[in-house]
Amino acid sequence: MLALLPRLRRFARSLARDAADADDLCQVTVEKALLARSSWRPGTRLNSWMYRIMRNAWIDTTRSRARAAETFVDAQAGEGFGEAGAAEARVALNEVEAAMRTLPDEQREAVALVLVEGLAYKEAAEVLDIPMGTLTSRLVRGRQALMARLGEAT
Amino acid sequence: MTIDPELLMAYADGELDPLTAKRVERAIAGDPALMTEVERHRALRLRVAGSFVPIAEEPVPDHLTALLKGNVVAMPSRPLTIVNRWMSMAACLVLGVTLGLVVKREPVTARDNGLYASAQLADALDTQSSGTPGAVRIAVSFRDRQGNYCRVFSSRAADGIACRDQRGWSLRRAQSGSAPHAKGNYAQAASTDPDLMSSAQDMMVGQPLDPAGEQTARAVRWRSPETVH
Repeated sequence: MLALLPRLRRFARSLARDAADADDLCQVTVEKALLARSSWRPGTRLNSWMYRIMRNAWIDTTRSRARAAETFVDAQAGEGFGEAGAAEARVALNEVEAAMRTLPDEQREAVALVLVEGLAYKEAAEVLDIPMGTLTSRLVRGRQALMARLGEAT
Repeated sequence: MTIDPELLMAYADGELDPLTAKRVERAIAGDPALMTEVERHRALRLRVAGSFVPIAEEPVPDHLTALLKGNVVAMPSRPLTIVNRWMSMAACLVLGVTLGLVVKREPVTARDNGLYASAQLADALDTQSSGTPGAVRIAVSFRDRQGNYCRVFSSRAADGIACRDQRGWSLRRAQSGSAPHAKGNYAQAASTDPDLMSSAQDMMVGQPLDPAGEQTARAVRWRSPETVH
């Protein structure tokens, strides 16, 4: 599980709205996973199991938060990320992250699992507990929206 | 056949079965707009994945690791997927035989799911442009069906094709080295083995990378999201 932390942090960052939220989400996820570890079936992928816990924890968090809180978050706000790393990587991150944040949650999580985490469609559909067809239609819409937003300068 | 956007995306991601992929390929061949769309999908994938790479490389905050340390949970290690298993077998059977000696000589490291470039070879694959003379020479770079970056290389120890996955440069083809032993005499020796180049052709999706393409790939450290974990 320790070895998965970097990837979990990355997934958290694509779900959550900022770095602090993402690390909180990570913490909650690890705690939940430790509590629920008896429910993990050996032979299944530990990362998919953890992604699923994280995604459900994120849904809980966003639900329990007042909807009003969202108005404080400006989708364009991109400061405060990644103290480490090259400046250009930071810029690219902010641009892509900002674009990701404009996606509806259901598209963003599909994009995060497949494009960022590199899961196969089938695995992503399992994590999200949706049929393949639903996954691909969310994914394609999310990608088209990102292409439009990020322009052709890829 | 009509190609809907989902199908085209799945093709770009290497998610289709070979038969369907062939059908899509035929449709693409007759419609440049479809090819452009496939390229846009792949470019987006690279860009999105590349921009999140730094996060996974940041040190994990202590309070997170602390949750797990002192709370050591023995999770059985993840079983190899069929693909990995197949690759390990292929690696053992095909590469292991030809590389038996080389493995001990450091440019190649054996890992549980196959052989990986290390040391000087890995450095060259990471940093060297195609066509640059040196102890390791890279003939060409390209992307495979999974969208991974691959490079055809030759060196004293081994020639082959390496593809970048999350663990490093995985050797997909390898044979004994062709580059000259003599130091200081890198007269661009014999061009890359035709068999190797034709293997590369088979693996390649689209065109080989041009210098700008290589530079972009280097900027994302040759990483591409894929399904190997």
